[in-house]
Amino acid sequence: MAAPAPTPAADAGGDLYRAPPKVYPREVDGRFQRLRNLAVFVLLGLFYLVPWMNWTGRQAVLFDLPARKFHILGLTFFPQDFFYLSWLLILAGLALFFFTALAGRLWCGYACPQTVWTEVFLRIERWIEGDRLRRMKLDAAPWSAEKLARKGAKQAIWITFALWTGFTFVGFFTPVRDLGPRALSLSLGPWETFWSLFYAFATYGNAGYLREQVCKYMCPYARFQGAMFDPATLIIAYDPARGEPRGSRRKGSDYRAAGLGDCIDCTLCVQACPTGIDIRDGLQIECIACGACIDACDSVMEKVGYPRGLIRYATEESLAGRRTRILRPRVVIYGLLLFGGFAGFAWSVSHRVPLLVDVVRDRNALYRVVEDGAIENAYTLKIMNKGDAARRYRVTLDDADEIRFAGGGESLEVEVAPGEVLAVPVTLRAPAGEVTGRHEVEFEVEAVDDEDVKYEAESRFFGPMP
Amino acid sequence: MQRSPEVPVPRAQRWGAVVWPSFFSAGVATMVFFALFDPVELARLAWVGIEIDRKTGYTIGFFLFWALTFSACAFTSILTRTRHPGDDAADRGTR
Repeated sequence: MAAPAPTPAADAGGDLYRAPPKVYPREVDGRFQRLRNLAVFVLLGLFYLVPWMNWTGRQAVLFDLPARKFHILGLTFFPQDFFYLSWLLILAGLALFFFTALAGRLWCGYACPQTVWTEVFLRIERWIEGDRLRRMKLDAAPWSAEKLARKGAKQAIWITFALWTGFTFVGFFTPVRDLGPRALSLSLGPWETFWSLFYAFATYGNAGYLREQVCKYMCPYARFQGAMFDPATLIIAYDPARGEPRGSRRKGSDYRAAGLGDCIDCTLCVQACPTGIDIRDGLQIECIACGACIDACDSVMEKVGYPRGLIRYATEESLAGRRTRILRPRVVIYGLLLFGGFAGFAWSVSHRVPLLVDVVRDRNALYRVVEDGAIENAYTLKIMNKGDAARRYRVTLDDADEIRFAGGGESLEVEVAPGEVLAVPVTLRAPAGEVTGRHEVEFEVEAVDDEDVKYEAESRFFGPMP
Repeated sequence: MQRSPEVPVPRAQRWGAVVWPSFFSAGVATMVFFALFDPVELARLAWVGIEIDRKTGYTIGFFLFWALTFSACAFTSILTRTRHPGDDAADRGTR
């Protein structure tokens, strides 16, 4: 094969390797910006406040990794409850399908930590360095006392905020009320220090510098969202039928007679875009569906006296002039699955029995013949107390005919410390000649103080073959 | 056969495409792995005379996983690197 001729892309190769130009998003106000502000306020409020909240004398949400216990409100979860975590992750995936099919990247625009923290860092930048034009001017200007002061102040606030974020993150894993004073006196443990700084650095880098590049280059969601879209999905779209041909015009002129559409080509939608794209080119993978362009365009439309909604939430079908059904089978099925999944999860968590029992048969011998010809089988009962207080349990045999505890008695009682697994050796005995072959036995473990806390574990009892 | 012109990928994107997916999968792997295995027990089985606390175990585990996933992602990135027409260094494999 002959060497391919150089292409424009090859000529520009050096340029394309350069860092992409910095995006200076223009500040906008409007319905979607207010929604986004609300989302930032609620989500970050939760993040920064939740570790400080207590529930019956203990941190309400504490992922106590050193003790391998997760405390969430009044509940304590152990590694054995991993099932719930996987269930939650499946629900999260399903929710992503549902919301993406319904209205595109709602997650990206409103809830993704990347977006939310970027919004805060941008807010700080705006506060210190001024609006879009002043920021661009400041960056282009040579270093001066003012530039140094402004950049220095911004960095100081950014770094403080990032450190507080890192500290809060660690506060989810270490009791924060103990961590706070130690952080102030600079006496954190090595790993606490490390993870605080790690998370602070990640926040600083991602929200301060990488910003939209994370969404454009790193996030896989942007790439596979297309598989979840269909023509009835609400997306942020420019209405070319109404807007084109775009162009500037004098106020009050009869632009329709001049052959122009509603777009006055003010480029505010482009300036407002945090990922630096032109929504008028159609849906692009860079679009994080924040709605900034809608707000920007609506404010312009109002100013020039045109109806709002030249850029709006619309479906592909409606833009093509066809009727759209938002509540289509796909959305309904996702919605039902999601609702069922959540209901089941809530039921399962609220009916969770704080007790786990596992029976392990003695591996050395199937059975043992003792003095008077009786048959004995040995087991180890592993009783885990998943509650917050020590508890006594009564172990009984259910439906076991002639098989009894070797020590005599109908039951035995044990006490298990909270969060502990107690191994209880148990020997069962059947009188001579009564039991041959294989028998099912069932151990019933029940809390002495609460008969609802009960766990049945099955095993087998073996006697000589008949 | 006419080759379509290939647009080189910005460096930030190349790094991002390696760092972020590997970080994410290392996080998930760490979570699943340590939900099943207690690092203190693992250390007791594996190393005689060295005692670690759980925080150290989790951290070492996370970075081990990240090192693994990072290498895998980086290899994929190198192997699937776009060849730019006229870029001799890439053709010789020296860059």
